[in-house]
Amino acid sequence: MHGYGQYILKRLGQFVLVVFVGISITFFVTHLTPIDPVETTISAAAAFGSTSPEAIAMLRETLRELYGTEGNVIQQYVTFWGRILQGDFGPSLSAFPTPVSELIARALPWTIGLLVTATIIAWVLGNILGGLAGYYRSNVLLKMSGVLAMGLHPIPYYIVAFVLLILFAYVWPIFPLSGGYRMNLAPRWDATFILSVLYHSILPALSLILVGLGSWFMGMRALVSNIVTEDYVQYAELGGVNRRRILSRYVMRNALVPQMTGLAMSLGAIFNGAIITEEVFGYPGIGSLLVDAVHAGDYSLVLGITTISIVSVAAAVLIIDLAYPLLDPRVKVA
Amino acid sequence: MAIGRTLTVAVSTLAATTVAFAQSQVTDLPREQTLIVENPEGTIKNASWFNYWSVNAGGRSTGLQQLCMDTLWYVDSDEGLDGAWDNSLAAEPPQYNDDFTEMTVKLREGLTWSDGEPFTADDVLFTVETHKNSNGLYWSAPIQINVEEATAPDPHTVVFKLKKPNSRFHIIFTVRWNALWIMPEHVFADAGDPLKFAFNPPVCLGPYKLMAFDPNGKWFTWEKREDWENTSVARFGEPGPTYVAYTDPGPPDKRVIAQLNHELDIIHDVAPEGMFTLARQSPSSVAWFDGFPYAHPDPTLPSLIFNHQNKVFSDSDVRWALALLIDIKAVSMASYRGAATISAIAIPPTGTHPSDYHKPLESWLEEFELDTGQGTIKPYDTEITLALAEQLRASLGDAIPSDPEAIQAAFGQGWWKPNPEAAAQLLEKAGFEKRGGQWYTPDGEPFRIRIVVEGEKRPVMTRAGTMIAQAWRQFGIDAETEVAEGTLIQRRNTGDFDAIISWSVETLGGHPDLAFFLDSWHSEFIAEPGAPQPPRNWQRYSSPELDEIIEKIRGVGFDTEEAVELGRDYAKLMVREMPIIPLMAYNVFTVMDTTYWTGYPTADNPYTNPVPNWANTKYMMTQLRPTKPD
Repeated sequence: MHGYGQYILKRLGQFVLVVFVGISITFFVTHLTPIDPVETTISAAAAFGSTSPEAIAMLRETLRELYGTEGNVIQQYVTFWGRILQGDFGPSLSAFPTPVSELIARALPWTIGLLVTATIIAWVLGNILGGLAGYYRSNVLLKMSGVLAMGLHPIPYYIVAFVLLILFAYVWPIFPLSGGYRMNLAPRWDATFILSVLYHSILPALSLILVGLGSWFMGMRALVSNIVTEDYVQYAELGGVNRRRILSRYVMRNALVPQMTGLAMSLGAIFNGAIITEEVFGYPGIGSLLVDAVHAGDYSLVLGITTISIVSVAAAVLIIDLAYPLLDPRVKVA
Repeated sequence: MAIGRTLTVAVSTLAATTVAFAQSQVTDLPREQTLIVENPEGTIKNASWFNYWSVNAGGRSTGLQQLCMDTLWYVDSDEGLDGAWDNSLAAEPPQYNDDFTEMTVKLREGLTWSDGEPFTADDVLFTVETHKNSNGLYWSAPIQINVEEATAPDPHTVVFKLKKPNSRFHIIFTVRWNALWIMPEHVFADAGDPLKFAFNPPVCLGPYKLMAFDPNGKWFTWEKREDWENTSVARFGEPGPTYVAYTDPGPPDKRVIAQLNHELDIIHDVAPEGMFTLARQSPSSVAWFDGFPYAHPDPTLPSLIFNHQNKVFSDSDVRWALALLIDIKAVSMASYRGAATISAIAIPPTGTHPSDYHKPLESWLEEFELDTGQGTIKPYDTEITLALAEQLRASLGDAIPSDPEAIQAAFGQGWWKPNPEAAAQLLEKAGFEKRGGQWYTPDGEPFRIRIVVEGEKRPVMTRAGTMIAQAWRQFGIDAETEVAEGTLIQRRNTGDFDAIISWSVETLGGHPDLAFFLDSWHSEFIAEPGAPQPPRNWQRYSSPELDEIIEKIRGVGFDTEEAVELGRDYAKLMVREMPIIPLMAYNVFTVMDTTYWTGYPTADNPYTNPVPNWANTKYMMTQLRPTKPD
């Protein structure tokens, strides 16, 4: 257990380092962008009205003060870390003065709800079908599912999404074109709202499952195809052990470890949002929030979202690293 | 057979039921009483914020400025219901003293806020005082720069004493797209810092009040006020829709699908291709023009803008040479697929401008001569739009008007005839030289031009820039486009371009006064190279003659014939000097579905601008009527 303690400490150190470096890089990259949030705001403010140049000069000065973009990058970097350590991302510059945390908190549940569900469904289905296809290699139905998965996998996601949208929201319009729930419906925990949310999420979720399933399927099938050639599997088969038992206990269990890593990484990456899904299906979430923030030069919001994403991915990897020795006794912790 | 029939009936019933169910999931508002409009702002990040006055805080064209806000005056970019000028909260036009240091406003009586409180001069005074005392509101700076004092001698009169003469001060309170909206004193007085007050729910002076909104910013719904008669638009009748929903329908393709599904009554804008699809496939869809070019020309003038701080463009002969290399028909076809309304002069060919400027200047343009150094030419071609219409008629048939007047109304009047020979002479006159098929500047450097375009975010403008670069390249100039998607604003504002496709001319449209944009073109406002340029003189062009015109406009009244004459002087100067190359109006393909509503504004009934993010949409509401009344 002493070795495992050291292992935990080492991994925690790596976690802190990854988070620090990742966030710092993001800070400097966002501050190197040529998009100036003050100029973007001024352009939006002056785009349609008659605003005198003197007024613009005055507005520019006020905005620099309000947005806190005064001072050099290093001074802003120090201030930024001071705020981050207190869990404060500051106000959004493109939705001033609303706090970044409030915007993220509003969008994140949609992203998590959709992506976690779709990722887990795709992972479970892909692994089960892939495992069966890898083990029962002569089964015609499973062979066909393999062909289907391989056929779907290389199709760019946006094509699948658009095809689903055109088929089921236009040609046979049984699903909504966009939105997270029905217009004019108040968000509350009742059956009408929940059903509306579920109904609106079917197409985006289906698109993610269809595309995600293929890679899990192929990954699992390849892993199982390798494992079935291992001596201990051959030995079990020759020993007359029930094939279902071999598949579930000897084959799938071993193949699941790398797939678990993949799942953890995918779940961690959920905090990036699914930009194309949100754009195509007009679904609320953190991906489109990030895109808007980039276009508006709102580096407070960009930093808020990427910080959460970096911490999530790093935490997912950390959890898997810590869980590995417990899941797989072959992993040495020393 | 019986099984087959049963199956067919079952499948059909299932299909119909599921489609009906899907339709019911669009909104729970009664569809035949609801107008559904695209909000081009997209998804609003902080949807619960309705404090319009706070800079950059929330959505604006979510219905907030179209249905809820109100201010003293409106000027329509088209004809208006009772003329383009409308006294909205004001009872009459602004009254200035002789030296334009004082403006008196008479307010309408009997108007109320949506919570029943009466609208009075105190609300106007509070709005002004709040802007004087707070930095960071949209209109803080213009109020602080202009207003010495505002007083109310009675509950329906406001007198503004100005810090310096300003004959156009009222424009701050005059809606073109928006303006300084009047704040409800009884709400904001106790709200604390106006920069931090969300104003949720908003209290409205307009004929609608907020019903609901999506916290994720996808939609906003508004309900007609029971006391709509106490609002300024009641003079034009009762607003038709009981409910109005503003929604983010997503990218252009989805907007087209949404209208084909009758789930979106007004599309703000689509690409020309989307418009053509709707014209073909949706008999219930209408646009500004009944046929080609369909689009509404906004009072905005996309142009090729030179950076005058780049010395290669300092000579008007060079700028004219570049203009004479452009085939406007090709640009129109490339950008708008022919559906462009072109303009040779630096004034948008829309609203009342053709009658105030384009037609009166037509004979001057026809006689305008250009000295190429080896002779003189008359570059203006009056037949160019007729030729464009003829070219389009081959594929579009009857959709193209045949009456020359109608063609000019839709496609514009004339433009410059491509003349590469004269262009070469002009470049040579300016000291340029052509060697080995490549033009060189007087300094011996290759003549290199990078045209900044916005890319996929604004494909129409990008395609125009690409076509122009191609024409210049074929002539031997090292010309290319540079896509600045996301950074165009920054590059334009700081002058980081050789040339850019953008607009620096925006007018009122329905009124001939040009001070709206022209005042900011005075040379006193030109920034140093690299420093941000205040809107809108992006070309950083200065000319003593132009300064003189601007100063004269400042000294004459808004509604005077002198102002129009000075506007024509400006247009002539722009032609002689060509500091920007005007291309065409910003054509907006607003498409309106008549399945549930009729009475939309069109070129045949141009009572207001149909583009639904403009605040004067409130006038449209009074003219819309349901096709399926109860």
